[in-house]
Amino acid sequence: MTTTAQIPLTITEPEKRSKRRGGLSRTLVSYSFLAPWLIGFLGLTLGPTLASLYLSFTNFDLLQDPQFIGTANYQRIITNDVKFWHSMQVTFTYVILAVPLKLAFALGLAMVLNRGIAGLPLYRALFYLPSLLGASVAIAVLWRQLFAKDGLANVALGLFGIQGPSWISDPNYSLYTLVLLSIWQFGSPMIIFLAGLRQIPPDVYEAANIDGANKVQQFFKITLPLLTPVVFFNGIVQTIDAFKAFTPAFIISEGTGGPIDSTLFYTLYLYQEGFAYFRMGYASALAWILLIIIACFTAFSFLTSRYWVHYND
Amino acid sequence: MTHDLNRRTLLKAALGSAGLSALGSLPAFAQDARVRLYWWGSKERADRTLKAVSLYQERNPGVKIDGETLAWGDYWPRLATQAAGRNAPDLIQMDYRYVAEYARRGALLPLDEFLGKSLDIGDFDKASLDSCKVDGKLYGINIGNNSNALIYNKAAFQKAGVPEPIDVTWDKFFELAAAVTKAHNGEYYGTSDGSAEEVAFENWLRQRGKALFTEDGKLGLDEKDASDWFAMWAKAREAKACPPADLQALDKNNIETNLLTQGRAACAFNHSNQYVGYQVLNKNPLGVTMYPQGAGPNPGHYLKPSMMWSIYARSKVAEPAVKFANFTVKDVDGAKLLGVERGVPASPKIREAVSAELDAQGKLVVDFISHVTPKVGPIPPAPPKGAGEIQTMLRRIAEQVGFGRLSTADGGKQYVSEAQAILSRA
Repeated sequence: MTTTAQIPLTITEPEKRSKRRGGLSRTLVSYSFLAPWLIGFLGLTLGPTLASLYLSFTNFDLLQDPQFIGTANYQRIITNDVKFWHSMQVTFTYVILAVPLKLAFALGLAMVLNRGIAGLPLYRALFYLPSLLGASVAIAVLWRQLFAKDGLANVALGLFGIQGPSWISDPNYSLYTLVLLSIWQFGSPMIIFLAGLRQIPPDVYEAANIDGANKVQQFFKITLPLLTPVVFFNGIVQTIDAFKAFTPAFIISEGTGGPIDSTLFYTLYLYQEGFAYFRMGYASALAWILLIIIACFTAFSFLTSRYWVHYND
Repeated sequence: MTHDLNRRTLLKAALGSAGLSALGSLPAFAQDARVRLYWWGSKERADRTLKAVSLYQERNPGVKIDGETLAWGDYWPRLATQAAGRNAPDLIQMDYRYVAEYARRGALLPLDEFLGKSLDIGDFDKASLDSCKVDGKLYGINIGNNSNALIYNKAAFQKAGVPEPIDVTWDKFFELAAAVTKAHNGEYYGTSDGSAEEVAFENWLRQRGKALFTEDGKLGLDEKDASDWFAMWAKAREAKACPPADLQALDKNNIETNLLTQGRAACAFNHSNQYVGYQVLNKNPLGVTMYPQGAGPNPGHYLKPSMMWSIYARSKVAEPAVKFANFTVKDVDGAKLLGVERGVPASPKIREAVSAELDAQGKLVVDFISHVTPKVGPIPPAPPKGAGEIQTMLRRIAEQVGFGRLSTADGGKQYVSEAQAILSRA
């Protein structure tokens, strides 16, 4: 490709052709390495995504052929769907609580680990473990047991004479148990924060020490500003993840979003519409609205980032 | 979110195929008819079904049956997805609630052409056949009949010195239940809270001369009916006959999480065929009886196919699939393996043969059905589109009333208005 442009004009025809062929075969080789991903992307991501865009304008019910109904699905979602707004509220509450708390927790732990304690790799691995298990069914089931009325959480509270509520089956608390579950999976942002902290040159802190800055000042004037690119990255990734959260709510409420729809995440509502009530066209429209919301959030983050993210260059 | 959905689905597919490969030890040959068999249910049901499959394969070397099983909640989404991909299983365990929905959308094969040939169910009584028909065509093979059944912990009543709740009125029932709770110092309740159970609600409505849905698919009750229902349970909750809402919410609508199985309440509102599944998971001996009765003469109970076999409309092995289905309901050996776990067989000859070899639990179920049969009313019409959503909605509103977020009167109003909205949309 670019090789063609770099060929000196003096070379003879046959040579030119052979070079071109070399370029072509190299291109083929690189595409063949790319193929597994590319095929997966086209077949399993892009294709279904485009299909769902079409389906969102139909009344597809899974069994019969879809019929085009224009923007009726979108109109109903916006103007006449109580559950849509309710699930939005649940999801936004979850995102607004879970993401900052998780990031704060991850950063705090990363800073403790960054102080060079013995056995760091072991701790790092241990703290990362919940993130590996986090989305799994087993953990959600465990969580259900832990926060039942006579679960371990309440036994522990009972030691201090506190009679805890029935966390997961009480609509006043059920969503917060899911937030807690999300915070507990702080491992992957923690690892990234840890790597970010390592990037900050120690001489900056030395200079600050000499100037008489205390630890709090150092955190807000040095650590946090220099870490903003990492905070930015983690923030975006975690926000997108939180919007898409599905498994914990699905398992803990057995797919109902209960009690009283208190854990009816947007994705869970979408799933119910599509798979339980046969309204796949409607569910597709819901999915596209979520996509647009996530895209807006991400775009907004990028637009504002230049005011608060400091790149070290 | 598609990411998570996919992972879950994949996991299930992997589990399913692991089960398949464990099952299919015989090598399959090209000329084999491979029938995909799909059912929901407990482990007990899976064990019984797989035994019937291996016996059938032994007798019919050319046929290979691949079984797949899921829990009720996961079963329907997966079936709908497979049907959308035009890749549904050949032989599908079908429920009365869904048969019209699938049949009218053209996903099921009418079975009339097989009657009298590979499908030899001429000795089924009319009710057992009609309940599997949609718009005059046969879409299901009745695997067994059942009826609403109150399943209860005998020991809890004995220990409390309270008579068992056999054929009692609702008032008496709650009185007994409250006495059981009291005798267990309030740590164990006389009954689970049935206000969210549509089966119980329907039975109670029928006792009042109402129904969930009318023949033409409209709502068969009014606000007063629904709020009276919620009020009855609110009173029971207050009298501690049933547990408070936060305890009841642990029930996720399956045998495993029902408060009876969890050892927190003495009664569960269910179907007679589920008795076998309950007993497997419960240490204490369980009893089975009718739901509490109304004051009037209207019967709440009816006999219905607890489930049926249906054939996928696009199946290429419809004939072998029908033959296997026939084996489970008309062959003495096949039917014996299934027992009464899927309900009491509709064929008199088979019912007799199966009953003769039943264990005590199985006999109890058969006796129960004989006891109920003279007291039942007609089967209600097949539920309209959107009925599944209304069932979920009842649960949510019952919980709202249970947690005190809605008054019983407002609960009734909301049930009716939401149900009408769902019906007009579907």
